[in-house]
Amino acid sequence: MIGKRKVASYLALIVLLHFFAITAMAQRTQIRGFIDALTTLQDNKVSFGFGEQDLFITSELNDRLSFLGESVFKYTPSSPTEFSVSIERVIIKYNYYGNHNLLIGKHHTPLNYWNDTYHHGRVFFPTIERPLLFAANIIPLHTTGIGAQGHDLGKLRFGYDLMVGNGLGSNEISDNDKNKSVSMAVHIKPVEKLRLGVSYYYDVISKGADVHERIITWQVNQQLFTGSIAYFGKKFELLAESTLGYNRTDTTGTKQTVASYVYGGFRITEKIIPYFRLDDLHYQDGEIYYIKNNTTSIVGGIRFQINYLAAIKLEYQHIHAEIEGNVDKFTAQFAIGF
Amino acid sequence: MNVSKIFRQAAIGRYLSICVLLSVCLLTKAQDGSLTVIGNLKGVPAEMKMAELKSVFMAERQRWNDGTKVTIAMIKSTTPLGKIISQRIYSMSGDEVRGFWAGISFAGKFESPVTFNTVSELENFVSQNPGAIAILDKAPESPEVRTVLIDGKKAF
Repeated sequence: MIGKRKVASYLALIVLLHFFAITAMAQRTQIRGFIDALTTLQDNKVSFGFGEQDLFITSELNDRLSFLGESVFKYTPSSPTEFSVSIERVIIKYNYYGNHNLLIGKHHTPLNYWNDTYHHGRVFFPTIERPLLFAANIIPLHTTGIGAQGHDLGKLRFGYDLMVGNGLGSNEISDNDKNKSVSMAVHIKPVEKLRLGVSYYYDVISKGADVHERIITWQVNQQLFTGSIAYFGKKFELLAESTLGYNRTDTTGTKQTVASYVYGGFRITEKIIPYFRLDDLHYQDGEIYYIKNNTTSIVGGIRFQINYLAAIKLEYQHIHAEIEGNVDKFTAQFAIGF
Repeated sequence: MNVSKIFRQAAIGRYLSICVLLSVCLLTKAQDGSLTVIGNLKGVPAEMKMAELKSVFMAERQRWNDGTKVTIAMIKSTTPLGKIISQRIYSMSGDEVRGFWAGISFAGKFESPVTFNTVSELENFVSQNPGAIAILDKAPESPEVRTVLIDGKKAF
């Protein structure tokens, strides 16, 4: 009797294992990594270093459900080990109809082309670093929340993103206040390789919120309007984006910030692309949410696309900033995916 | 005897000429890169316009009209056939096509195509997966897949 039960248990176990094996086989999972090594010459000093190590996982759970995870290992001086791990994106996507999807998790806030298109792997960046408006925290890079997304609809290949999230000041697991951030973005692709987009972002940042390692001492009502043009053709590349930010506090009223950049590239051959980028950050006097630091920058460089997962970039950058003054630097970067 | 020998030589000559002619025809066909689109019997339509085909292979469509998920299967772009498809469908090199898909999949927009080394593996995959579509350089052997007419033609 016991023997029969054991045999039945083993059979059940085998059937179960077989079922899971089939499920595992049906599930397509890809794991990739990205990293870059850098050399900079600044103030007559040469430095060597490496950037973030990006671990990337995508998985199709079934024909409607998919997962994307992106974790970054990076140098963090404040950490006891001098390194930290951060979860940059965790997205569970449900394709409910046609080209329409529901997303939940931590996202790159879909406010402009750069943030919506590129991840932390530098090999796909057209320049060595992101435009200055990212470092200046003009737009919220990440949003933890829920959203709806559609793409390539109709003749103009219309796309949309609507997202509700915890907003600035909250952490990865809970909101710091009752306010929710709202992101709305639309774009069209009227001809091949060209994408035109606009977006709107609204958030209320509570007094006392910790945003980018600064404690905000006033409640800030923030509105961001962004416009972007992206064209990546066979010969020419153009990416121009501008964000108009309004931060309102009871004490300072509404202050306006304009942050823009223009990138242009020309493909001499399939693998050699000289490029430039101009950045401009302009803050209104009395701005207290952003760190007021009017900045202009020019970047000139050349990209050698060894293959789609390896690129060398050589770049010169001149920055003129209100706080730091003039900065000149040469940078060489070797970025790879593996 | 001599007459029979002459006839035999003439027959061999004609046979050789036909062989040479056939070889030239086959070589020409292989070099012109004539392509055929195949699809699983479920989901994939029997006929498409070239613009629709390109749109599917450019990751602009997630589902077929009947709701079946679009699954793109491709021969590796490093193979001769893969290079032809990269040029004809994407107007890109094989490496650029791999970069295109890497950019899209890591942005979380679309899953990468399933890639294969051989046409028989590709055809087998398409026959077994609803909604799967692929491009070959010959007519399919399996009755489990359909040839999709592109602009009304079996090959383009």
